[in-house]
Amino acid sequence: MAGPSIDALGQFRLSTGLGPLGAAVNFTNSNEAMLASAAIIVVLFVLGLRSRAIVPGRLQALIELLYEFVRNMCVDTIGEEGLRFFPLVFTLFSFILLGNLLGLFPYFFAFTSHIAVTLSLALFVFVFSTGVGFYTHGFRFFKFFVPEGVPVWLLPLLVPIEIISYLSRPVSLSVRLFANMTAGHVMWEVFAGFMLLLTASFGILGAFASVVPLGLNVALVALELLVAGLQAYVFAILTCLYLHDAVHMH
Amino acid sequence: MIRRTAFALVLSMVPAAAMAEGTMPQMDFQNPLTTAQLLWMVVILVVLYFTLSRWGLPQIGSVLERREKQIANDLAAAHTAKAEADRAVAELNATMKQAREKAQADIAKAEADAKAKAFADAKVLNDKLDAQLEYSEKQIAEARATALAAIKPVAADVATTLITRLTGKIPDQAVLAPEIEAAFLARKVA
Amino acid sequence: MGSNPSITSVCYKGAENRCMNESRDKETFEQRLAAAQDRVGLSRPKANEAQSGAGAAQKAINLAMRLGVELVAAMVIAVVIGWGLDRLFHTKPWLMVLMVPVGMAAGLRNLVRATGSKTGNRKD
Repeated sequence: MAGPSIDALGQFRLSTGLGPLGAAVNFTNSNEAMLASAAIIVVLFVLGLRSRAIVPGRLQALIELLYEFVRNMCVDTIGEEGLRFFPLVFTLFSFILLGNLLGLFPYFFAFTSHIAVTLSLALFVFVFSTGVGFYTHGFRFFKFFVPEGVPVWLLPLLVPIEIISYLSRPVSLSVRLFANMTAGHVMWEVFAGFMLLLTASFGILGAFASVVPLGLNVALVALELLVAGLQAYVFAILTCLYLHDAVHMH
Repeated sequence: MIRRTAFALVLSMVPAAAMAEGTMPQMDFQNPLTTAQLLWMVVILVVLYFTLSRWGLPQIGSVLERREKQIANDLAAAHTAKAEADRAVAELNATMKQAREKAQADIAKAEADAKAKAFADAKVLNDKLDAQLEYSEKQIAEARATALAAIKPVAADVATTLITRLTGKIPDQAVLAPEIEAAFLARKVA
Repeated sequence: MGSNPSITSVCYKGAENRCMNESRDKETFEQRLAAAQDRVGLSRPKANEAQSGAGAAQKAINLAMRLGVELVAAMVIAVVIGWGLDRLFHTKPWLMVLMVPVGMAAGLRNLVRATGSKTGNRKD
């Protein structure tokens, strides 16, 4: 069949960004999106902190809302000790949230749809929380893998299960974010490509028929907006949860 | 629970279907850019982390803290103002009560004073009148005694004259005098 | 003399009236003050309540997104470990085969943990 074909995965292809300078240092188009996310966060802080009013303006209220949301998440999940990790959780949450949201815009690269990115973030969280566990409890942290109140003869079976369950954390953490973002973007691309296909194959009739995939895409925008926020939240709350396990060991 | 789980499993098939579709750029680890982006991500994240943890978040924290303090102060001020107002009202009530009591005491005192004065005045007047009455009575008694004393010789004279004229002989004064005296006594004049 | 008490009683009545108005004002003021203090003291727990209320619907979607991934992730890790150990001890493919049920068990363990049916108050 002639005409356009659906290239659902082309949107994830990496290239170099920022012109020849970026090409020289392998600065990719996903890094552009990361830079934009980080810049937006910093700009939001700069603008929100301009007045430092007792009665906040809109931007200040937005920043304060974010601050209190993440802070409460840390304190509720980890406990008062969680405040030590608050800047880290906030950085991860805001970075992923902005990355997800920016990725929804046309021509913006969704860097959270790259498994390499999400896996390295998840591995960092995993290594960091395990490090916190050993730093807080020393070698007693190994007890985390020994379930309480089970007969001793079951332990050789249960300990490997617990260890594998623990090791699967970074995988599930990264795959969840990656899969959600990728699936949404692929579906968008598929429906949009389907519109082109319909028009190319059936002419004016196909153009009318392509209202259906268009409507689906519009509905997907709402869903993806929800998913973008939700996945950032899930990543952050799971980070808090792993830190809770590391600090409290249960 | 089971329905929720089933729904979840169905949803989890979606990314699997997407991955099945040809080669994904995300899985292309031969591409040097796949790993190169991580280096730059680390740089960006580290800068972002230090910007937020050293500058942004403490600033927001201080703003929120200042607001909390302000609200607490305002509420405390409202509390003290209210206590002050309550105290002032209590003071006002006490003063008013005191004033009312004092006024009533004053009124009672004035009333008692007036009564006492009137009583004293009346007593003085009464005494005066009594004295006058006594004096007058004494005078009357005196006048009467004088009159009575004056009437006895007259009566003796009249009796003597009457008897002389009736009998033609002069009565014996020694007999006449007790008779007259008895007549006076009978009429309770003396 | 007789008129004075009546005058004072009228004055007193007036004062009482004013006092009643004042007390009504004071009551509302007190209520408002208490409410303001409650807001300051209890704003956090209230926010949390609202969160958990709205979170009920989110939790289902949240869970939906997780479960499949949890199962597969444990299996992947188990198989990778088995494969690595096989390579190390040249026992291909027995350790990998052995790890498959262990991986399944670990995946189920993840599911149990994720649905929170074992540890109750866990959020994941």
